[in-house]
Amino acid sequence: MSRGKKKAKQEITWKEIKRQKVLLIWAALFVIYGFIFYYLPLGGWIMAFQNYKPKTGLFHSKWIGLDKFKFLFSDATFIRVIRNTLAMGTINLVTSFIMAIVFAILLNEVKNVLGKKLVQTISYLPHFLSWIIVTGILHDALSSTGIVNELLQKFGFISSQINFFAHESYFWPIVAFSNLWKETGWNAIIYLAAITAIDPSLYEAASIDGAGRWAKIRYITLPGIKPTIMILLLMNVGNVLNAGFEVQYILGNGLVQKVSQTIDIYVLNWGISQNDYSLGTAAGIFKSAVSIVLILIANRIAKRSGEESLF
Amino acid sequence: MKSKKLTALLLTVAMTASMLAGCGGDNAGGGDNAGGGDNAGGGAETSNAPETEGGSDETASSGDDGNKDIIDFTMFIAMPGPEINDGNEIQEIIAQKTGVRVKETWLTGQTAAEAVGTIIAGGEYPDFIDGGDGQMALYDADALVAWDDYLDKYPKLKAMYSDEEWDRFRQADGKIYWANIFQNTYGESKATTHNDEAFWIQAKVLAWDNYPEIKTLDQYFDLLERYAEANPTMEDGTEIIPYTILCEDWRYFCIENAGQFLDGYPNDGSVIVNTDTMKIEDYNTSETTHRYFRKLNEEYNKGIVDHEFATQTYDEYIAKLSTGRVLGMCDQWWDFAYTVNDVFKQQGLDLKGCNYVPLGLTIDEGMDNMWHTYGDTQNTANGVAITTSCKDVDAAFQFLEDCLDQEIHDLRFWGVEGVDYMVDDDGLYYRTEEQRMQCANTEYKASHLCTYSYLPQYLGTSSDGKNAMQPPEQTSEFFAGLAQPLVDCFEAYGVTTYVEMIGSVNKETGPWFPMYSFSNNMTTETPGGVAWTKMGEVKHEWLPKVVMSESFDGAWSDYMTAYEGCKPEDFLSEMQTELDRRAGQAQ
Repeated sequence: MSRGKKKAKQEITWKEIKRQKVLLIWAALFVIYGFIFYYLPLGGWIMAFQNYKPKTGLFHSKWIGLDKFKFLFSDATFIRVIRNTLAMGTINLVTSFIMAIVFAILLNEVKNVLGKKLVQTISYLPHFLSWIIVTGILHDALSSTGIVNELLQKFGFISSQINFFAHESYFWPIVAFSNLWKETGWNAIIYLAAITAIDPSLYEAASIDGAGRWAKIRYITLPGIKPTIMILLLMNVGNVLNAGFEVQYILGNGLVQKVSQTIDIYVLNWGISQNDYSLGTAAGIFKSAVSIVLILIANRIAKRSGEESLF
Repeated sequence: MKSKKLTALLLTVAMTASMLAGCGGDNAGGGDNAGGGDNAGGGAETSNAPETEGGSDETASSGDDGNKDIIDFTMFIAMPGPEINDGNEIQEIIAQKTGVRVKETWLTGQTAAEAVGTIIAGGEYPDFIDGGDGQMALYDADALVAWDDYLDKYPKLKAMYSDEEWDRFRQADGKIYWANIFQNTYGESKATTHNDEAFWIQAKVLAWDNYPEIKTLDQYFDLLERYAEANPTMEDGTEIIPYTILCEDWRYFCIENAGQFLDGYPNDGSVIVNTDTMKIEDYNTSETTHRYFRKLNEEYNKGIVDHEFATQTYDEYIAKLSTGRVLGMCDQWWDFAYTVNDVFKQQGLDLKGCNYVPLGLTIDEGMDNMWHTYGDTQNTANGVAITTSCKDVDAAFQFLEDCLDQEIHDLRFWGVEGVDYMVDDDGLYYRTEEQRMQCANTEYKASHLCTYSYLPQYLGTSSDGKNAMQPPEQTSEFFAGLAQPLVDCFEAYGVTTYVEMIGSVNKETGPWFPMYSFSNNMTTETPGGVAWTKMGEVKHEWLPKVVMSESFDGAWSDYMTAYEGCKPEDFLSEMQTELDRRAGQAQ
């Protein structure tokens, strides 16, 4: 960042531009890509203020102002959907975040190289499975004749089978668990990388001073990866509202729909199934706005406390 | 082609290996990994792509040999269905004869409305489409070609319906955009199956109790209870499931609409039409429906109703039925029979009496039932349509016309003469036991048979005046294909077919029938449509809850409160308006 400021003070000459021609072309490609795929589609947001019909298109649909937003916020389902999204997003963020760090540190403490690599590889493989497969496994494992029920019965914890997908109270934990199972190993990779960047001489010095394992983790490893933790936290906070779609969509059913539906599912139901593209867009805008606010707040807090920040 | 696949595999393995190696390495490990993952995926994809292209090239070139240019059309059907193989034998024969090959794709993992909505949002349509519940959205998006200018040029297609019937397909702008291809009888009706909803029961259960008269819901569950107590497991030791209910997505009609039938009304689907007062009535709140759910709740708590019913998917449901464990359920014939009966045949379960027979139940004794409606039911809500993306509309219509040609029709439903069916000296078609077995084989169906099941077709008698248009309706075939326990069962009740078994009264339905063809196409544009959507949501949640609750009365009143909150009166009044319109039009 500081280097960028210095450059800005430098005079931009044709010679300089010519010298960096290749770099500039590459950069321009990505700017164009970003513009086309991230900014151009935002034009579609005007749908939210129209009564959009595919027949009349973007330019001839009737303007209705904020009617769709009014419908959204008077719809009890939408309010519930926001609650579900925030709840599941937060649970996912907290659990996956903490677990990844704990897992990375634990793995780092394993001295047997072969064992370490084996565990790491196995633990991050689920990341490559599609959600369809993961939910399929979950569905089978948690079914009334599945392994979970069988084990619980064998060990006498329960007397009759539990239908896990029929109770609202089980749904969020199931989603959180599936996220953990799938992503912990993968998320830990970046922390492991950060840990290897810590200067080994620090550990040696600490050993000489008589620090044990706990002390080394607490005073060297954790502070060493703190910048990484902060940046990732910031980025993940912006993702809280992306609490997921596939898991909830596939595992949800009529009985648990009150707690299972997320904003994305709501958008699909109204925007695509009911052909109310305007309402779907309005819900999408609301989601983006909340995400931006969340990121700004988190960034401000990080800056205030003198930590790394995004901008 | 094989070597290409191998290279792709090797490439993927190599990429993954390099990624694993990267992990133990330096700082940049994290970043590199992500890149490696993407590349591996990309590599596999690109090396697969030419392969599929090669496949279609092949079929195209084999088409060229037949000195006829074959037009390839696409079709999307917003219903789940079996995809047939590329190069399917009968599909190729039909392509040679008509010059058209249609690639069908089916609904997978989505609801009909979602799938159609996605297609509309994309703006590119297949040549033919049957949008199911999403049909109206296609019309609203101006995606369909009007039939009015074409219909007169294609006499066979036009003959599918009378002018009056065609008029019922007309949309708000006065034009015809699609035709429903089901329940259309040519010549004399040959119906043997009850192709609609019923409470079904395995033939062996009836046999066990010496074929009792089962007329009411109470008697039905009483029999299930007694049988389950006496025979808790099947021969191989699997536990039986006395009764299960499917309530996934749109298929929740299996739990939802029994109330109308139990009251003796026909399947108007979303409402009851009281023919005395000509008023719309709501079966959701009727006394009969209340009693029906009380019964289900009672049986659930007794352990008779499958404890997993509320969360099972359609596939799990079909798998369950196919094992022969389930004694009974309420469902539409077409929703289970085609898959389940074939499995029974293959597994020999049909000989053990696992096949389902329909019972025409009512809530009290001495009532007429109308589970079966005689004559054709014209569902105008959806059907086959040609889209504006179709490059050659005339060829498309010509193909719809050709589909009704007797020769093509026989190819679609009977197959190839001498291979899939035989002709006896009187010109009557029949199948040998071997052929029957073969036609029930999933693999054979995919590689050889091509019914184009959502394109125009007839039931009833073939134009030769002897044979049935479709094999299941061929009287001799029907009886020959009937497993012994079913024959015994029909004999014991003194009937010959499924239709007689259910014993519905032959009362004519009004010109407004069925009302669901209107409610299926309601949109959230109107208050009634919004109410209809919300009622659906509430029922999806509450009907299973009511059945599973420990205290029925509390759950029912909570459900009623939630239900009233959807303003069902908005929906009912729009249905009343439509009923008045339809009744008025008929006069």
